[in-house]
Amino acid sequence: MTQSQPSAPGAPRRAPALSVRGPGPGEVALGALTAGGGALLLFVSEECPTSAMALRRLGPLCQAWQDAGLTATAVFEDPLEVAVRVARRLGWAGRVASEDPPYETSRAYQLVSVPTAVLVDRAGTIAGTVTGWDHQAVVALIGQAEALLGAGLAVPEAAGPLLKPGCSSKAAIDPELAAAISAPAGPDGIEEMFERGWTDGLPVVPPTPERVEAMLGGLDGSVSLGLVPPDMGEATLERVAACAVLAGCRPAYFPVVVAACQAALDPAFNLHGQAVTTQPAGQLVVVNGPVRDAIGLNSGMGALGPGFRANLTIGRALRLLVTLTGGAMPGRLDRATQGQMGKVGFCIAEDEEVSPWEPLHVERGFQPGQSVVTVIGSDAPLSISDHRSRTPEDLAWVLAWAAASAWSTNWWPLEEPSVFVICPEHAEMFRAAGWAKQRLRQFMFEAVHKPAAELRRGETTPFVHAADPAAQVPKWASPEAIVLIVAGGEAGRYSAVLGPCTGMGSQIVSREVGRRGR
Amino acid sequence: MAADYVSPFDERVRAPEPLAPRPASVSGRRVALLDIRKNRGAEFLDRIETLLQAAGATTARTAKEIFSKPAALALIDDIAGRADLVVEALAD
Repeated sequence: MTQSQPSAPGAPRRAPALSVRGPGPGEVALGALTAGGGALLLFVSEECPTSAMALRRLGPLCQAWQDAGLTATAVFEDPLEVAVRVARRLGWAGRVASEDPPYETSRAYQLVSVPTAVLVDRAGTIAGTVTGWDHQAVVALIGQAEALLGAGLAVPEAAGPLLKPGCSSKAAIDPELAAAISAPAGPDGIEEMFERGWTDGLPVVPPTPERVEAMLGGLDGSVSLGLVPPDMGEATLERVAACAVLAGCRPAYFPVVVAACQAALDPAFNLHGQAVTTQPAGQLVVVNGPVRDAIGLNSGMGALGPGFRANLTIGRALRLLVTLTGGAMPGRLDRATQGQMGKVGFCIAEDEEVSPWEPLHVERGFQPGQSVVTVIGSDAPLSISDHRSRTPEDLAWVLAWAAASAWSTNWWPLEEPSVFVICPEHAEMFRAAGWAKQRLRQFMFEAVHKPAAELRRGETTPFVHAADPAAQVPKWASPEAIVLIVAGGEAGRYSAVLGPCTGMGSQIVSREVGRRGR
Repeated sequence: MAADYVSPFDERVRAPEPLAPRPASVSGRRVALLDIRKNRGAEFLDRIETLLQAAGATTARTAKEIFSKPAALALIDDIAGRADLVVEALAD
């Protein structure tokens, strides 16, 4: 139950020394915390809702308290990584510390439950404690701190609930049981990854130092690829490797993962906008060149679907970098209204050997023998069935008009690229007719036009509003907004189109695999 | 003891930026009106501008390159150099 003792009666009790760790170098010493005049220790644990409430309510006050001489420290009965993550998520602006089993510091402070707030004066004496959440007692405790400091201190707003019992301190549990609770849940720690939040919702491979080292393959883990939006976490190669391990990559995939990250972090790609938008923006990763076969990327049957480790884990590694290192956690900084499964990860390879055309990377200025990763901001794929067209004109018309509703039915023209993944049987029809890629692209562009008057319903573009009602408006701003890739199984006439994410000014970006630098 | 893992997070704790002091009045202040280029944001700023000018503020319009990217540092510096206050408009 909530117990409050803002004014400790009887003889003053000396505050025990701290046996905790902080995120910075050096030990966390009580003398340093009280040097400004006083210290507030807030004992908490991750799984305790009352602890979370206390951190949320007191966290925003910590900076002003610090300025007035009161140093607030959240002491977590959790691993340090958990402590730092939870503190950041809950807006705790004070210091963070962590204690390991058997929770000697919590025991020394005779904790029964968390949260417990302990006020320590400059002389190292406990001036008062509040157990659980008791708004009135917390305000009184802050009043005591004001008396110690001779300065005014902000107090939390009187928001309900004003009283809330805490949860059992881990120090109050039998030591063996406490150690068992804190140990990895299984021999591979998969459940622990969920507890830490190091996941996209699917099981991940725990990034042990040995696995990360193997992923790095001798590369210097401290090298930075840049800052990952939206939270601007630094993408050191070590963190990229940790994401690749979490995603399930083999070390052989790592050069492709690195190239994908380099491309996605190019400002021209505008990952920032894609990461936080309400749109269902995914980051499509297209791989070209010899590396496809070297690491087993599938460009054949089921090219956009499940079944192949390289495809599924490379795209996922990039998304984990955005989600974890970049902080774009769905429902938090990732504000996607609905999202789409491509946001779990979406990596495809082009079937250059079946394609009648120059592959994507060659179109973009690379040599055929180079291995290249290209990233494109995109929506989920829409499958286009056509088993009946007998001329390339009919097939091109069907493919193009399937994309007429990309983004939104009347949103014409689209500035950003729509990606058509052409299946081998469809590609063969164009090959047999001698259609070059540019001819197909031009035909598709010219096929999809409508009078502006027919597009003035619901969401449409300023371009349509400004146009003469009879003016023909194209679906795409130019033929170059139509990207053509060949992939898929040899049987079945299903191609696909991936609509764009719009309003991002996002450009397609390519990076050669194995080349350093941005 | 929890197992030792390599964290994918950037664990550096950054102190939140404090809010700037709020002015008691906008009269006589220079106010930058930042259009983020979201649809119809300019209409919203037109109305705000009228109200600010009626309250005695001088106003200047400026705009981001595109709504989906953070404001360029040069733009932030420019606003900081020639305005006391800024109003950023979001609309759709």
